[in-house]
Amino acid sequence: MTSSLLLSITTFIYLFCTVLYLAAVVFRYKPLLFAGTMTALGGFIIQTAGIILRWKESYDMGYGHAPLSNMYESLVFGAWAIIAIYLVFEWRSRQRALGFVPGAMAFLAMAYASFATGMDAKIQPLVPALKSNWLIAHVITCFLGYAAFAVSCGLSMLYLLRKDVKDNPGHGTLAFLPNSRQLESINYQMILFGFLWLSVGIITGSVWANSAWGTYWSWDPKETWSLITWFIYAALLHARTMKGWQGSRVAWLSMIGFGCVLFTYFGVNFLLSGLHSYAR
Amino acid sequence: MATEKEKGSSANILDWLASLKLTLFVFFALAAASTVGTLLPQGAELEESGLSAGTISLIQSLGLNNLYHSSWFRMLLLLLCVNLLVCTVDRLPKTIKLLRRQEDQFDSNKLSKFGTSAVMATRMSPQEAQPLLQNAVEETFGQLKDLGSSARFCGVLEKGRWSRLMVYGVHTSVILVVFGALLGSILGYKGFMNIPEGEASDQVELTAGAHNHLALPFQVKCDKFEVSFYDTGAPKEFKSDLTIIDNGKEVIKQPIVVNDPLSYNGVTFYQSSYGSMLKQAELELKDKDSGKTEVVSLTLQQTAAIPGTQDQIRISEFQDNMMGFGPALGVVINKPAKPANGSWVLADKPNFHGNTIQNYQIKVRNISKANYTGLQVSHDPGVWVVYLGFTLMLIGIMLTFYSSHNKLWACIENDGRKTIVAIAGRSSRSAPAFNEKFDELRDRLNSLLNAEPYKLEQTKPEKAKTEKARQEKTKAEKTKPGKTKEEKKKK
Ligand code: HEM
Repeated sequence: MTSSLLLSITTFIYLFCTVLYLAAVVFRYKPLLFAGTMTALGGFIIQTAGIILRWKESYDMGYGHAPLSNMYESLVFGAWAIIAIYLVFEWRSRQRALGFVPGAMAFLAMAYASFATGMDAKIQPLVPALKSNWLIAHVITCFLGYAAFAVSCGLSMLYLLRKDVKDNPGHGTLAFLPNSRQLESINYQMILFGFLWLSVGIITGSVWANSAWGTYWSWDPKETWSLITWFIYAALLHARTMKGWQGSRVAWLSMIGFGCVLFTYFGVNFLLSGLHSYAR
Repeated sequence: MATEKEKGSSANILDWLASLKLTLFVFFALAAASTVGTLLPQGAELEESGLSAGTISLIQSLGLNNLYHSSWFRMLLLLLCVNLLVCTVDRLPKTIKLLRRQEDQFDSNKLSKFGTSAVMATRMSPQEAQPLLQNAVEETFGQLKDLGSSARFCGVLEKGRWSRLMVYGVHTSVILVVFGALLGSILGYKGFMNIPEGEASDQVELTAGAHNHLALPFQVKCDKFEVSFYDTGAPKEFKSDLTIIDNGKEVIKQPIVVNDPLSYNGVTFYQSSYGSMLKQAELELKDKDSGKTEVVSLTLQQTAAIPGTQDQIRISEFQDNMMGFGPALGVVINKPAKPANGSWVLADKPNFHGNTIQNYQIKVRNISKANYTGLQVSHDPGVWVVYLGFTLMLIGIMLTFYSSHNKLWACIENDGRKTIVAIAGRSSRSAPAFNEKFDELRDRLNSLLNAEPYKLEQTKPEKAKTEKARQEKTKAEKTKPGKTKEEKKKK
């Protein structure tokens, strides 16, 4: 049993889980929702085992570091965080019908990590600059934020779709889903959670940079893009709280915000150069 | 008249400076400007970017090549802070006044003012109902405070007033971070120093401003530098054993690695790079014209005379491994009244054609190298203010998002025939959780008091309106502490 086998299995479980959740909504058949939750939970447990095993394997190879050090590992952790956040949300809110959104996001992240060309899934040794406990704190907190924003982006798209379809309780494909008021409120909760963790992520990164180079902020492209993302979500929070922007405008801002997250993560790695050269 | 007009316009400016419109503008402007900064080449990259001369000069004149340090970018940051300060000065007194306010008496006529409310009627007497009500509230929300009304029972429960102030913590933290950064950029400096193994130095080359040097009031000695590698060939660890020598005394002896710096007197030294430099080279010079061979020994940049001639020799540069061909020396030969002539001399390849300069065939007999450690040097007296800001920001955001100011009112009245129990609640945040608890209390009261829903006379004809008012109220409540001007206008 190797970690990469477990993680491959996880990819397919998340796909299956998304199909189950979606089928439940489309066919309005409740037991499928339950099956979706169980599958998500199963996938989550297997993935957790996979991540822990990968950690152990890195010790066996003599490198000994948490599996958070390159793009492959961070994507796997991103998928894990999305499912973790969603499962907690589902448990607290007893709101199951939205499972296909995080399911699809987690599947996409895992599939990209596994199949993208040029993605190096090998366990690599850490360069001296990454040897710090701040790395773990930084990556985990950033990805909790990114994962919440990913879910929020999915919810925003759903909100925009939902809003255009006349609310027609009891009929139609969307009958299972929360109504648009509930969606808006759930979406907002996700954004609050994401903003908190993005802030922690930026701050841990900054403290780390200061302990490694003596500069807590150097306008490196990745730093800058995470700050841009932060400004967008800060604008969203202020507009919603003080100017009563709700619904569609918040949904659009959230999608723009997640676009910035994606650019921070992929765009900066592939298009711009800087300290955070995860991709290379 | 004129003064009034002036007053009017300065008040307008203050309004503008306090407005959320400006906040949103600054947020989006900062985001857009930062984006431009990551897409355009910054600093020295610009000359090498291959852009046309016109584009380059345009970029330079707008300060876009040093965007994050340009004056207009700093103005945006300043505007953010001013916006924040003016807004705080405008709103904080109102928030405090609101929080200081004593409880109003509450009765069923005012129910429509609240986010959530419920009214029920029971056959019990007010005296019987009161303890039941108090118990039910205690089990769900907590202890009701009796407002001491004479004619009827009226109580209130309030939790988390302080929650309304937390957002001021977040905003203060932003100011602290900016202030700390400013402090650091005025009073601090950043630079680097390369110290050969076994040597000491106090010279720091500053990063800002070209060729700016600074002498430390003490010396840093590199006793030893080591680099270790993984079996893949990737570097594993850089380590320098440093000694701080102050006034001729060794005060600290400590190894540093990447991520684990050394601090002394407010100056911190970070392991950042390493390399090797030439200590001494022994060169054999064969004069092809006369066939004579001379040997000179010299250090980097030292000029030496070639014995028996009027010519001079100097090693101007050293590369430890030039393009995979091993160590290379940049050798320059000066003949009287002729332009200097130089070439790269490869130490390990005596037959390389470049090893000949004019009439000299040069062979490197021996080189001794020294490792040097590259240290990043930083003095930043503002960093603690920034860290204080960071801490406050995180605590502030957490408390802003996850605490709320909740209030619950309850009263018992008698309409002549029945006893009427009314409850109402209001939450500054986390409305779903609060409403859930409120519904639980309502259901519990219904069964405890054996009550039935009760329609109030006053609200009957206005039912539709009440529903709308309630929704608006919930929205307004969130923004309660001192509404801004635009808010009011919007309404
Ligand atoms: C980077 C800078 C800023 C950060 C991180 C920040 C953060 C926050 C946060 C987290 C909230 C709570 C949002 C919510 O309730 O969902 C908030 C509310 C608010 N912010 Fe800011 N803010 C910043 C700048 C500003 C500026 C420049 C102003 C200027 C007017 C401002 C005015 C307000 C107001 C009026 C509120 C509502 C407060 C209340 O509910 O009583 N903020 N801010």
